[in-house]
Amino acid sequence: MTQVGLVFFPAFDWAISPDHPERQERLLYTRDQIQEEGLFDHPSIHEYRPRRATDEEILRTHVVIPSLDQRITESHRIAAGGTIVAADLVVDGLVDRAFALLRPPGHHANRVVHGARGFCVLNNEAVMVDHLRARLGADLKVAIVDTDAHHADGTQDVFYNDPGVLHISLHQDGRTLYPGTGFTSERGGPGAYGQTVNIPLPPGTGDEGMLMVMERVVLPILREWKPDYIINAAGQDNHFSDPITNMSFSAQGYAQLTELLSPDIVVLEGGYSIESALPYINVGLLLALAGLDYSKVQEPIERKNREQGKSITEQVAKVCDEVMDLWQTRSQADLGEVFGEADFFERRRQIYYDTDNIYESQQEYVRLCSSCAGWRVIYTSSTRNRDPVGVVLLPWKPCPVCTGEAREQYEELTKDERFRQVVWQDPASKFCRCDGTTKT
Amino acid sequence: MNHSYTIGIDVGGTNTDAALLCDAEVVALIKVPTDHQDLLSSTKEALQTILDHYKGAEPVKLHLSTTLSTNVIAEGRGAPTKVVAVPGPGVNLRSLSFPFSIIELEGYIDHRGREVSPLDMDQVLALRDVCDDGEALAVVGKFSQRNPIHEQQLARELAKWHSGVISLGHRLSGRANFPRRIVTTYLNASIAKHQGDFLKVWEDVQGTDISEIAILKADGGTMTLNDSRERAIESILSGPAASIMGVKALSQCPENNYLIVDIGGTTTDLAAVVDGEVLYERDGATIAGYKTLVPAVLTRSIGLGGDSKVTYEEGLGITIGPQRAGMPVCLGGKHLTPTDAAVALGLASIGEREAAIQGWNTWAETFGIRGEDLARQVLDTFTAQLARAVDDFYRELENMPLYTVHEVLNPPELRPRYIVGLGAPAGVYLPPLAAHLDLPCEVLPFSAGANAIGAAAARTTVGVTLQADTELGRVTIPEMGYQEELHRPLFFDIGKARELAEAKTREYASSLGYDATGEIYIVEEESFQMVRGFRTVGQTHMVRTQLRPEVRKVRGDIK
Repeated sequence: MTQVGLVFFPAFDWAISPDHPERQERLLYTRDQIQEEGLFDHPSIHEYRPRRATDEEILRTHVVIPSLDQRITESHRIAAGGTIVAADLVVDGLVDRAFALLRPPGHHANRVVHGARGFCVLNNEAVMVDHLRARLGADLKVAIVDTDAHHADGTQDVFYNDPGVLHISLHQDGRTLYPGTGFTSERGGPGAYGQTVNIPLPPGTGDEGMLMVMERVVLPILREWKPDYIINAAGQDNHFSDPITNMSFSAQGYAQLTELLSPDIVVLEGGYSIESALPYINVGLLLALAGLDYSKVQEPIERKNREQGKSITEQVAKVCDEVMDLWQTRSQADLGEVFGEADFFERRRQIYYDTDNIYESQQEYVRLCSSCAGWRVIYTSSTRNRDPVGVVLLPWKPCPVCTGEAREQYEELTKDERFRQVVWQDPASKFCRCDGTTKT
Repeated sequence: MNHSYTIGIDVGGTNTDAALLCDAEVVALIKVPTDHQDLLSSTKEALQTILDHYKGAEPVKLHLSTTLSTNVIAEGRGAPTKVVAVPGPGVNLRSLSFPFSIIELEGYIDHRGREVSPLDMDQVLALRDVCDDGEALAVVGKFSQRNPIHEQQLARELAKWHSGVISLGHRLSGRANFPRRIVTTYLNASIAKHQGDFLKVWEDVQGTDISEIAILKADGGTMTLNDSRERAIESILSGPAASIMGVKALSQCPENNYLIVDIGGTTTDLAAVVDGEVLYERDGATIAGYKTLVPAVLTRSIGLGGDSKVTYEEGLGITIGPQRAGMPVCLGGKHLTPTDAAVALGLASIGEREAAIQGWNTWAETFGIRGEDLARQVLDTFTAQLARAVDDFYRELENMPLYTVHEVLNPPELRPRYIVGLGAPAGVYLPPLAAHLDLPCEVLPFSAGANAIGAAAARTTVGVTLQADTELGRVTIPEMGYQEELHRPLFFDIGKARELAEAKTREYASSLGYDATGEIYIVEEESFQMVRGFRTVGQTHMVRTQLRPEVRKVRGDIK
């Protein structure tokens, strides 16, 4: 019998603001349904308490400006910590699989955090993946399959240049939904090219299209890449009743997806159809994770268009072909052509934080290195934190040359008067100073 | 001056204990061997024996803690019972492999108690062809605690042609958990006839020397004979609850958080008091493998007691239990036990001390140490094993889920600051455990009869679960079968919900024939804003109440 660990943290006393969809009530009906179905005391489901994530655990992944305590609430800390608890349950062999059924969500949170985007401040999966590598070593291979209707732009950002992580996001096409990204052309940085896999789906995609994507794209890629752990960032807003998206998955579809994917760790992301979808999706997901019969799980309302339209099926098939083609040819890509022949690849971005209504300007330089993923430096400022901040980042397995250069860059920035705050982030170092150095 | 006399009887596996209380004093304490072939006669014998000590003229109340329903369930002697369920969508009932058959009907009540689809009346009528009049029926719907309408409709239809027992899920518990509600209702229906026969006997006793009979429940409270007819299932596992009530009645403990250790021959039972209240099982009692919704004191049993087997293994050293060794050597047994260690060291005087000393000496020789040292090591091992079990027990409690930021930041403090011990050997084993855990301790007076005193000192427990939904404009109290429209839903806040819950608890208690003047406290409450599309559309409130189960305080010496 498959044993499933459940870290349930509905944060019944926390909301982004009164009347916001990310509210106290969001997991109330899910709790009611799981309780009434008797799943909290099912012999193969075991409930565990969350805990607070420590500063070190969060700052291994994030750069929070100006400081952690000024940007996060305790609920963010507990959601990140609860996700770590779920991962540890699996690693310690206490359960076969785990489900972090908690809020607030995290997959729109980038590495650099000026505030909340898409209801997210801390990226729960990302913090958890880095925790796993800190425990088990930098050679660990982790795949994240994000099945939220919104593109997982935050998770993509965190692992964009990280060869240890395969990030697959299937979502409603960015031309029709927040955050407006997640196109097939976004394939990863020079150190992990091809390991960012985006599968944009047309609005109206239903179970049939989702299963097609699983069978034609997600599962073959996973089989080939052979991750040590598969993580499912399980947004539940592809459901046909979700108020802020336009997809057409059902609770049955989600359960089938879970069964096919058989993830080691599942982390809840979005999903705001809190009465008609979440209770049923979560019950189906738990049953599927535990290998139990989910055939009778069904939402109370009928879908308008049960069958996905023919043109949608054709579009989905086309996306599948395109993504597979890109995956299979990833090693043949001419990186010089994509990232240039200079010593650094430069990227400039404007990032909008919809939840807090702030704009961030970012300038990033990635060292093109043939021995490791390359060190990076990011200059960032925002309408909330106008003083520019310098961030120097080492990858998980830096080569000695990159480590030396990054050190020099960091020393230089600390002397540069334009930067009041300079941050050094070396996730793999036991003695890492992941805290920001603030000059006076 | 009027005195209040109460007799408590606790039917145990070996003995039936009886206590007679006069106000806060113990007047008499007796025990007779339990006759498993004829429980009734040994129970009546205990009653007669204790009544012989009674010289007063005032009427006497009797509180009975029996193993009748527990035994009927454990031995599978319940009446043939069919479950009629309205599961709606969700977990496939067949995958849960209940050890009884379930007839599934169409119909669907959702998590807010809305009827999504009605009962199929053709299916309801067809029940007549498959249900036997001699069978008991258990009628259970998913979310019936939020809206009992399907169970009520079924009850009305079934009553038209079924003359046997019909138990309804929503009347037995206001808690969520459909599989447990099925099991609870099934068991309740299956033991109703036994309970009825049992009640007939005691109704005759009532009115002679005895003015009033109450039945002890698994939560340590009592219910009337008449109430127990409808809710026989609540009388299971009253024995452990009686002991805990004995502790609450007799203990001088000055602390709000304490540990209760009941040390017996074969097992030791642990229970915890937190903030002055005994901890209850999260969902309900488990009996003979059946998980129920019956409120029950939380106890954990460890295979460690005075008669446990002592073994030595190279590399592992001494271990005690979990098997029983049989009689200790000092009483002519073959295997050395912790009791023998206590006797040899002069800490207890049971049987022949010389035999115990001889036993340890002989065994110790093989290790080249003194028998006295070996006996001491055995007692140290007992203490260490018990301390580890206590730690495991609190770890389990501390893993109780927490659903709010506030609770995670301020987790409830559960660990004890004091230990109360009971059971015959408690005087030997408790002080070293307390020293090991660095806590003050108390060995209960009347350690061996605390269960009967607890049964006598117990008071009525009764409570309700109120669920209000201001968007739907509805309030439900399943235990009372109460469901009403809210007149002014916009103004029905949590304060109003509390007021109504309290008033209804009193009304319910009075209707069952209880003194409803005591304090009503709120066991649990929840309140949520319902937001739809960036707008608050209503509120949902849940209030769970209980008449405070104050146990009568009893003095620790015999009058």
